[in-house]
Amino acid sequence: MAHDSRFAALDDGALARRIGEAGAAPDSAAEAELYRRLAPRVRLYGLRHLRDRDAAADLVQHVLLVTLERLRAGKLREPDRIVSFVLGTSRMTVLEMRRGTWRRETLLETWGETAEAVDAPEPLALDPDRLARCLEGLSERERSVVVLSFFADKPADEVGAELSISGGNVRVIRHRALARLRECMGAAEEEQ
Amino acid sequence: MTCKNPIGFETLIAYWLGEVPEKSEAKLDEHLFGCAHCTRRLEELAALAWGVRAAVTEGRVTMVVSGPFLEAMKQAGLALREYRLDPGGSVNCTIATDDDAVISRLQAPLSGIERVDLVRVQGGAESELRVADVPFNAATGEVLVVPSAAWLKSMPAFRMQMRLIAVGKAGEKQIGEYTFNHSPS
Repeated sequence: MAHDSRFAALDDGALARRIGEAGAAPDSAAEAELYRRLAPRVRLYGLRHLRDRDAAADLVQHVLLVTLERLRAGKLREPDRIVSFVLGTSRMTVLEMRRGTWRRETLLETWGETAEAVDAPEPLALDPDRLARCLEGLSERERSVVVLSFFADKPADEVGAELSISGGNVRVIRHRALARLRECMGAAEEEQ
Repeated sequence: MTCKNPIGFETLIAYWLGEVPEKSEAKLDEHLFGCAHCTRRLEELAALAWGVRAAVTEGRVTMVVSGPFLEAMKQAGLALREYRLDPGGSVNCTIATDDDAVISRLQAPLSGIERVDLVRVQGGAESELRVADVPFNAATGEVLVVPSAAWLKSMPAFRMQMRLIAVGKAGEKQIGEYTFNHSPS
């Protein structure tokens, strides 16, 4: 799903207003742009809180289809606060998913073919061979910390207990190792 | 796509791994939902985390790991083949097509040791590879080596030796040597 330059000047709230004002004839280009912008945020929220790629993909579909339906129907009172609405809906849906009261079948029953046809942006993917080479380039201690941290999403104190080092030490090693990995993968950025 | 108050990379890592308090987490959620710039950076971190996980499950990387990590691999449904060797021991070993990983459980007297280095020799001494400061468990007396499964599956028959070296203020001392006679399955 490519970025639509026509909407570059519109922030998320303005884009939501435009969708809401379209009335009976949906502005599909604006809807696609809103979906493109918000899908990664909802997916990351889902990955962070559910730790499951399929569940995160379901969350994206559910939350954004509910959002678009509300906007089209003029039921979102403050389109400028679209981001708050999407976050709140994401939070509620994640709670339902965790409680087991949310069902994928409901998503398909409610949205039918619309849910299947939504063209969600692909998650960012790295070259696996290059990443393996970059991992091999780390020191053993760095590699252990990175692998133990991210294979099972373990916090520093837990990793430290497994390696007989302090959580603070794990954080230092982890930060250094990830910086090296990102540089090796060509993703070094301006921040730090 | 810029942010006036970008979330620091260390904070993003802590957020991703569930290390921040609930209240701070809620604030970070709000910031991330409203900020394409920080979302992009979190997406990079998530891709890296996912890539690391895939590198482990697909056997693309050689690692020295902990006991709980092996349990996590089992819980993730990975098929593990294990070989346990005492010092001076040797084993005829292989990796089957449906094995996800081979675990070498190197037994050694590790009590009171500060640092352990692992030396791998495949062929002559010129192929010696020394890995400094590997994780070990002094209580169980084990070093757990997981060679890259993808590499192992590509190999013909070969012999590899591993040595464990204790490193301390008093110098170095070999505490175990282990021989693996690998043959393809």
